[in-house]
Amino acid sequence: MNIENMKNSHKLLKKYDYKLGTIDKGYTNRTLYINLDNNTIKSKAVTEEMKEKFIGGKGFGLKLLWDAVKPTTKWDDPENQIVIASGPVGGITQYPGAGKSLVVSISPLTGIVIDSNVGGYFGPYLKFSGWDALEIQGKADKDVIIAIDGNTGNVRIEEAPLEAVDGHVLGEQLTEMYADSEKDKRHISVVTAGTAAEHTLIGLLNFTFYDIRRKVARLKQAGRGGIGTVFRNKNIKALVVKFSGVKSDLNNPHDIGLINRAGIRLHKEIRKFDDNQCRMRQVGTANIIEIMDEYDLLPTHNYKFGSHPDTYKIASNVFRDKYLTQDKPDGCWYGCSMSCAKAADKFELKTGKYKGDLVTVDGPEYETAAGVGANCGIFDPEYILENNFYCDTYGVDTISFGTLVAFVMECYENGIINKDITGGLELNFGNGEAAMELLHQMSRGEGFGKIAGQGVRRMKKIFVEKYGADPEFLHDIGMEQKGLEFSEYLPKESLAQQGGYGLTNKGPQHDEAWLIFMDMVNNQIPTFEDKAEALHYFPMFRTWFGLCGLCKLPWNDIVPESNISAKEPAKIPEHVQNYVDIFNGVTGRNIDKEELIVQSERVYNFQRIFNIRMGVGRRVHDAVPYRSVGPVTVEEYESRSERYDKQLIEDVGYNPEGKSTEEKIKVMREYREDQYEQLIDAVYKRRGWTMDGVPKVEKLKEIGMDLPQLIEVIKDLQ
Amino acid sequence: MIKVNNRNFDWQEGLTVTKLLELKKYTFPKLIVKINSELIYKEAYEKTLINDGDDVKVIHLLAGG
Amino acid sequence: MKRLDKNEELCIACHACEEVCSKAFFKESNLEKACLRIIEGEKVKIINCTQCGVCIDICPVEALSRGSNGVVRINKKDCVGCLMCVGFCPEEAFFQHDDHVEPFKCIACGLCVKACPTDAIFIKQ
Repeated sequence: MNIENMKNSHKLLKKYDYKLGTIDKGYTNRTLYINLDNNTIKSKAVTEEMKEKFIGGKGFGLKLLWDAVKPTTKWDDPENQIVIASGPVGGITQYPGAGKSLVVSISPLTGIVIDSNVGGYFGPYLKFSGWDALEIQGKADKDVIIAIDGNTGNVRIEEAPLEAVDGHVLGEQLTEMYADSEKDKRHISVVTAGTAAEHTLIGLLNFTFYDIRRKVARLKQAGRGGIGTVFRNKNIKALVVKFSGVKSDLNNPHDIGLINRAGIRLHKEIRKFDDNQCRMRQVGTANIIEIMDEYDLLPTHNYKFGSHPDTYKIASNVFRDKYLTQDKPDGCWYGCSMSCAKAADKFELKTGKYKGDLVTVDGPEYETAAGVGANCGIFDPEYILENNFYCDTYGVDTISFGTLVAFVMECYENGIINKDITGGLELNFGNGEAAMELLHQMSRGEGFGKIAGQGVRRMKKIFVEKYGADPEFLHDIGMEQKGLEFSEYLPKESLAQQGGYGLTNKGPQHDEAWLIFMDMVNNQIPTFEDKAEALHYFPMFRTWFGLCGLCKLPWNDIVPESNISAKEPAKIPEHVQNYVDIFNGVTGRNIDKEELIVQSERVYNFQRIFNIRMGVGRRVHDAVPYRSVGPVTVEEYESRSERYDKQLIEDVGYNPEGKSTEEKIKVMREYREDQYEQLIDAVYKRRGWTMDGVPKVEKLKEIGMDLPQLIEVIKDLQ
Repeated sequence: MIKVNNRNFDWQEGLTVTKLLELKKYTFPKLIVKINSELIYKEAYEKTLINDGDDVKVIHLLAGG
Repeated sequence: MKRLDKNEELCIACHACEEVCSKAFFKESNLEKACLRIIEGEKVKIINCTQCGVCIDICPVEALSRGSNGVVRINKKDCVGCLMCVGFCPEEAFFQHDDHVEPFKCIACGLCVKACPTDAIFIKQ
């Protein structure tokens, strides 16, 4: 297909010209609103209160979404929005990890707000084009592209009938179409979904950045919660932003020296230490595949086990030595010397509609390798790369895909579903061919792939209602909570991490807290109060990255020399100070590390109350499947019987001698479930919530978040 | 008997930090090791002997994307 | 390959090299804007670019390239000011100043050599 033909087939539905404006200390002070029902485009002012209470990024997204939806809004209602925002610090180039976009929407999987933090150039370019956030509401009649030109100051909504839908093709087509030359391609960033986002609820958004050395539009993913599904439901084919002229001072920062110094310090640390710490520059987040296996934390066979003898086949060095191109500046935004966006070049696809093509494939990230690989019992690096490629281009979240296929496989092996139901796919653990076909079916909207693509929660219902499955068993092994599939760590032996997954706003994603080492290995947080403190501090601290347009990885995936003698090494205090410095350096405000936490608390509590407003977000919704807490089956118990028997004696005061495994499982379960409830009590108390999980009015007052619309939701639930 | 992260662990003659990390399968690269509150640098793991009764901390920093 | 080289034992730390460099590059006499640095101490240290080219591969926008004479130069127009070159220079000889977005480095022009009274620095071909 010729790019010129595609371009000529565009039909302009609306053009909106705007004044370019200026960025003042990290803010453009306005947001862009687009409604596809009637092709309205307008500018909205950002108030001082909005900056004070919501900071930016995910905070702005939540505030705008709150104002746009009703308590009854469903994900596919026209009033649901997709909001994309950078943040006040977003777009600086001196400090690694400062180019993130935060995307929020009402999720098709959970029915509540989902938020996703994604790389690529879109967020910074959007801001430099003059917008702190982009809100898209309504639904187009036919497929459209929304294009923002940040140098000339206009926004266009165009019907775009001929372009592809799959992310890797569409990303290339639009980069080509909107760039004036090869050199101009770096100034384009495209947001796409993919064909499977149209047929499943686990659709993702790809955000591109043009890789000038590989000469390919690379894709980064806003993976979680099905935002790509919302995108295609709105008949959006793509968003395009074009901006040239990136410099480190475009935010008009208050004190650029603070930012420069912090940036150089971190670049030097990465140069000196990364090779001996995480090797992010060599293998990216995949560095922990074999480590998680060693510590019994790598989910295998639908989270039954934490390690597998075949893990060595998918260890990080296998990817490094055989597939990943080394020594390229793989940052997903300028200045990211952590460079974790690894890529395999000229990878030949073996299946599907692009079979035989030589493509550039992402990473894989740890989550992807663990999810689509180990958790499904598929220890094949080429399967992982191929699956990763197709998930991305089809617009499917690798985490949800991995977790739901693992669930399907366990159901298949237990005879809950069979070949008649799967259309002939033999979905045993380890069957990569069948899993690939399931993914291709999601793209085509066919067969069992269409059912699987509804996610674990809906599959459980279907399997019970149509195939007579035991609902209790499915509830125990279906690794979802609030409708979202768990990410890829085995939390069974760490109570704190059960909370790290269960007591989250959007569902069980580890981006709020990863406490397994602190809890299980280091034994640093033995009491409920200790765990609750960690489940207060870390979720709040990590929320803050999403308010500012930042990535979490440079915080603790590189450790400075000073940390060895730090009082609280887990917090990486020197890096916390870097963040205080770059925030103050950009905004001219004067926060300290305590105020940083309060900034997050405001937004975190807002999101919790948003959930409550949508009918979710109470204690009952924070329950987790027992597979994440302890051994569900005899097979699981017996795989760790020595450890479990010892715990029964030492922790429970129960003598396992001569008892059947079933009896021991029952006693263990009562104990562990009670522990989880006690943990919830302690965490709610620490967070200033009622025992039903509702933020207290006095807590909102204390943090300056007693906004009338919030009080209205919670006042009768105190 | 020694303590490792406040849990009992069998002591053996000639136990060095390196040996302990091997026995415990502590392969994570971002560790902070202390013996009786005294910091042990990585370069000294090989040579540093752990005595019976010592209180050893092997602090793993956080991982997880 | 043309590059600046040094004999640190001859350096008397008069800083004339830094001065002439900053004047040439930035039209002001400011030792913090020089493309080489004289560090005083028990032994004087000279920090200078060896034109090794590590920075070329580090740069995300290909703003750094090696010219026909072997000297690594920065194209200020393409530079986004990320300072990765500054942090990753093995000699720590890529410099920046908060007055300027783009960092700066030695291009082996030899002005400093002429200013040096003791031949502590010289151009090597």
